[in-house]
Amino acid sequence: MIEFHLDPRSGVATYLQIVQQVKEALRLGTIDVGDQLPTVREVVADLAVNPNTVAKAYRDLEREGLVVARQGRGTFVASTLAPASLRHHDALRAGLERWLAAAEAAGLDEESVRALISSTLRETLARRVA
Amino acid sequence: MNAAPLDARGLGKRFRREWGLRDCTLTIPQGAVVGLAGPNAAGKSTLLALATGLLAPTEGSISVLGSDPLREPSVLAQVGYVAQGAPLYRSFTVADTIEFARRTNARWDDELVGDVLTRVAPSTKVGSLSAGDRARLALAIALGKRPQLVLLDEPFAGLDPLAGREFLQLLMDGVAETSATVVIASHVIADIERVCDHIVLLTDGGVRLEGNVEELLESHRILMGPRRPLGEIRGVRSIVRERYSGRQLTLLVLVDGPIVDPSWTIERVGLEELLLTYMAPERLPTPKPPERVPLRWHG
Amino acid sequence: MAWVTWRQHRAQVIAIAGLLVALAAAVLGTHLPIQAAYHRDTLSECLPPASRSGCDIIVRHFQGEFDSWATALRVLAALPALAGLFVGAPLFARELEHGTHRFAWTQGVTRRRWLLSKAALLGAATITAGVVASALVMWWRGPFDTLEGRMSPSAFDIEGLVVPAYALFAFAVGVLAGLLFRRTVPAMTATLVIFVAARLGVLKLLRPHFLPPLHRTALATDTGRQTGDWLLSDTLVDAAGRQITAGREDLAVLHAQQAGIDPHAYLVSVGWKRVISYQPADRFWTFQLVEAGLFVALAVAIVLAAIWLVRRTPT
Repeated sequence: MIEFHLDPRSGVATYLQIVQQVKEALRLGTIDVGDQLPTVREVVADLAVNPNTVAKAYRDLEREGLVVARQGRGTFVASTLAPASLRHHDALRAGLERWLAAAEAAGLDEESVRALISSTLRETLARRVA
Repeated sequence: MNAAPLDARGLGKRFRREWGLRDCTLTIPQGAVVGLAGPNAAGKSTLLALATGLLAPTEGSISVLGSDPLREPSVLAQVGYVAQGAPLYRSFTVADTIEFARRTNARWDDELVGDVLTRVAPSTKVGSLSAGDRARLALAIALGKRPQLVLLDEPFAGLDPLAGREFLQLLMDGVAETSATVVIASHVIADIERVCDHIVLLTDGGVRLEGNVEELLESHRILMGPRRPLGEIRGVRSIVRERYSGRQLTLLVLVDGPIVDPSWTIERVGLEELLLTYMAPERLPTPKPPERVPLRWHG
Repeated sequence: MAWVTWRQHRAQVIAIAGLLVALAAAVLGTHLPIQAAYHRDTLSECLPPASRSGCDIIVRHFQGEFDSWATALRVLAALPALAGLFVGAPLFARELEHGTHRFAWTQGVTRRRWLLSKAALLGAATITAGVVASALVMWWRGPFDTLEGRMSPSAFDIEGLVVPAYALFAFAVGVLAGLLFRRTVPAMTATLVIFVAARLGVLKLLRPHFLPPLHRTALATDTGRQTGDWLLSDTLVDAAGRQITAGREDLAVLHAQQAGIDPHAYLVSVGWKRVISYQPADRFWTFQLVEAGLFVALAVAIVLAAIWLVRRTPT
């Protein structure tokens, strides 16, 4: 079961944050096909957001084919975004943990780590496009 | 239901010599969670009191779910209202208060009220409840009659942030359950920004700005650039506010197309900033009622 | 609305019930000595029209013994006002003062139904309380009423049909005052003032004329009056029918004394008479009906006014 977190300061619309968090959970394998997403009422009672917002997010996800709404029973995951091999996932995670340890040893704080990752990712993607 | 939850036409209310509300015309869309914003004494409480028949209009008309609340007070059975300060009978216990509501409303559902009871003993006197619990009790009572319209007048006043959050949770749960239309009057934007999809801004007794939140945010931008004489800017429909500091010029504008001039830095504007700008007295002519033109492009 | 009315007003209802219980206890407690004295002095043989020598003294003795209690009872004339002050006035005033009307009047009950239900239920309770109080007093005052009648205000006002009528009237005035003044203390004050003014007004100006008063002439020396009647006026007139002032009377008495004649006999010989106007005792129930009817009609009119007004109350 996912638990959503809302960041009102992020400038990202609430419904988009929900969509992103569902996709993230799918990628990480936290939720799998057949799992039920929290009901609109549950999300709303937890986050104190407009039910229309949650409904919109779930509709968007349904349009993308990631979830399916079953009348009267809830919204369920329909397909997954996780890469085929979970083994690569584990290896990547382990590699990342080692890199983070090295960064910490090099004296980088959390902000610097994030900045380094963001800029490197951006540049790499830009080079790919170019 | 075909009638709009709340519809005001040229509504005005005078108190002795001052007008609390003047020439107010607005329609609340069904199913929306509406933030009724504006500074103190802007007319928010007056508007809600007129909607519940607690005040009679001096001029104009107001209809709630298609009925005049003064001529057909039975419509109030469909309206959940929490006045400023969440007035309840202090000498009643929580159980008494719920029983009172149960007996004065034909339609009643204990479910949402039960939520409040898990934290507060039914035999507690209302007068000894914390502000947060009292507000939640008043809200639970308003929701218990399964209303089509919920009107809240400054519900967050006197509530600490946690109590305010719990209040919103209960409210949104109630909305999810009943699909009611909600109007929350608050002079603090941050409190309602989280949940509102529609905004009505009142200043000095009149409607200053009104519209769907997404559309409003989409149709305004902040432009920053070097100070220069302003002519027409492509993509800008009108300038809402100009500000200078040194050589920098900052504009808040209404847009109607993509802005291609590279000398401008473009930013989106937050809801609070937008409303504060429209609240400020020194600025421009009242914008025409916003046309519902979908403005979707990426700027 | 029955539950709501009870829950909001139960303190008042219980207090009034408590008062009635206290009254009943006092009445019961003091009844025994009175009955005992009544039989001991065989006062039944002194009732008009029967009369035997010495009755005067016995009756005066009896009255003297219990007069203080009878006088204390007259304070009960104020009791009906309590219905106005403590039940009627707070009805709306308390809600409007505390702002709870913004809660109460936005539920599924319209203001008019709110007022009608409460007025009907509390009005019925008020009438019941008035009837109980009246019955208790009438029972206690039995011996006194037999001896001295009950037409005079000191008895009339606390017995019979008028007591519940006064209470209902006070209640209605309180309700309207609460609606108009919107604060408990001003409403209570206004209620008291209006109640007293209405009671005095009716007592002084209207009640003497419910039916045309009867007249009787008596000799200047006669002291007796028919017991049980309500004496309205007792004036001395000369042979021509002109009223004699106190000064003129004094002069005549002085003249007689100087001449060595008994003053009373002198007044009679001069042709002076006493003209007495009164309302006879047998009109008691008629007058009760008229006055009670008057106050009930006023109460109804006031409640109707409140019903018309309640929709228009700005808040």
